[in-house]
Amino acid sequence: MRWMAIVLTIGAFVSSARADELPPEESAIQIHGFVSQGALVSSDNNYLAKSERGSLEFSEAGIAMTKQLDSRLRVGFQLFARDLGPTGNYSAKFDWFALDYRWRDWLGIRAGRTKLPFGLYNDTVDIDAAHAVVLLPQSVYSVTNRDFLLAQTGIELYGYRPLGELGALDYRAYFGTFHYEVRDTPVLQVVELEVPFITGGRVMWETPAEGLRIGGSFLGGAITGDFIQLGMPVSLRLEQTTYLASLEYTADSLVVSAEYGRAFSDTTITRLGMPAMTTPNSSESMYAMASYRLASWVQPAMYYSLVYPNVDMREGRNGRQHDAAISVRFDITPNWILKLEGHSMRGTASVQGALNAGEPLANRWYLAAAKTTVYF
Amino acid sequence: MRAPLAIVVIVAFAGCADAVAESGGGVRVIVNAKNPATTLSKQFVADAFLKKRTRWRGDDAIQPVDLGQKHSVRARFSRSILERDVAAVRRYWAQLVFSGRGVPPPEVADEDAVIAYVAKNAGAIGYVSASTTLTGVKAVPID
Repeated sequence: MRWMAIVLTIGAFVSSARADELPPEESAIQIHGFVSQGALVSSDNNYLAKSERGSLEFSEAGIAMTKQLDSRLRVGFQLFARDLGPTGNYSAKFDWFALDYRWRDWLGIRAGRTKLPFGLYNDTVDIDAAHAVVLLPQSVYSVTNRDFLLAQTGIELYGYRPLGELGALDYRAYFGTFHYEVRDTPVLQVVELEVPFITGGRVMWETPAEGLRIGGSFLGGAITGDFIQLGMPVSLRLEQTTYLASLEYTADSLVVSAEYGRAFSDTTITRLGMPAMTTPNSSESMYAMASYRLASWVQPAMYYSLVYPNVDMREGRNGRQHDAAISVRFDITPNWILKLEGHSMRGTASVQGALNAGEPLANRWYLAAAKTTVYF
Repeated sequence: MRAPLAIVVIVAFAGCADAVAESGGGVRVIVNAKNPATTLSKQFVADAFLKKRTRWRGDDAIQPVDLGQKHSVRARFSRSILERDVAAVRRYWAQLVFSGRGVPPPEVADEDAVIAYVAKNAGAIGYVSASTTLTGVKAVPID
């Protein structure tokens, strides 16, 4: 909230000083919003919500306000609330808020809470209207990682650089932190939890081949915490680096994308009177997706997504998650969309234990999802 | 016979000039009359309307103006210059708006309003159909 106040105060000050540089059509406050309602039902395994019995706990709402203060400076924020199974519970939060100064096309700076540029779609993962599918490939864009991967509070540098015959470069880099909460459990009480830093960036090359862009993303960060476990103090430090290679090809109504990522983490646990113990882990994730707009109002899509949470333990249903999905998006009106989607799943690596406590998990299972969104 | 011949030549030349200024799809890109640009690349115009580029060569702000989403000229411009349909452009702006990275250009109701906007604002860039009469603005050929 302190960051928010600083950003808006500076914005208001600069606005009063320089707003006369813009035509009124550009300097007007822009308000945009969306409301979504979805449904999930699975043949086995509760996924994201209590999906086995069918769940409507799949709602989102957001409202964004933006004001262009002069030709280089913009300020804005978005309030976002969601309910997805046990998470969200309609608690409205600032999704992002930022003061954005675009000094040159090749260099701008954003200060505040900004969405993380990671891969092709991470910073738009909540924006149903921007995608053909209900659930983006969960191997890379897991909704359960939203608290880690969505946004950071700090500084972001960005730019766009045409390269003549070689196309153009779009780049972003950031450094900051984020607020992260873990609830107490009967055996674990949280004393302190911090995110000392999160840093990363993304470079996308818009190649000379029409419609083809390729790029790479990096994200690194740490989480430290002090806990009381069964009456004994425990310290934890998690360090993780994640890399993602991206490719997207657009030709008329066809969009094809593929991404491949690796994540490496070290988790160090220190217990009173015992030496620190570090556990390394490495995961692998990938997907390929294609969509084709048959007409302005209908767009089928399909993807195949695969994740190995631990590359040293790929075997068994918990060691992997295969997800073959097919989806259709209907643009009923320019502001109202409906999506229907089916998933054929193999493995349970993405199934949350807390939603399935005490229940046997199935290796092969199916998920159907529907979502409708109104946006303006 | 000389005078009619000259008229034919002038008319033919004017027709050629008009054809050069047309950016494709029966659409002309227009800028403020004081704008020194004599020609623009298709990529520059696309970047300007997608706000990837925000500055003219002399560092003045580029101020793109769009027609409404149902306007046929916008559909032609979108296809010929942005190389995507209007729905895809809407999705592009939804991504930027809801992720805090930008806002779309202002939209006006008709071509007269586009011309008025471009005539009034030195950094403005717009588009109209090739047959529209231009006053206070100039058409820029797309190379």
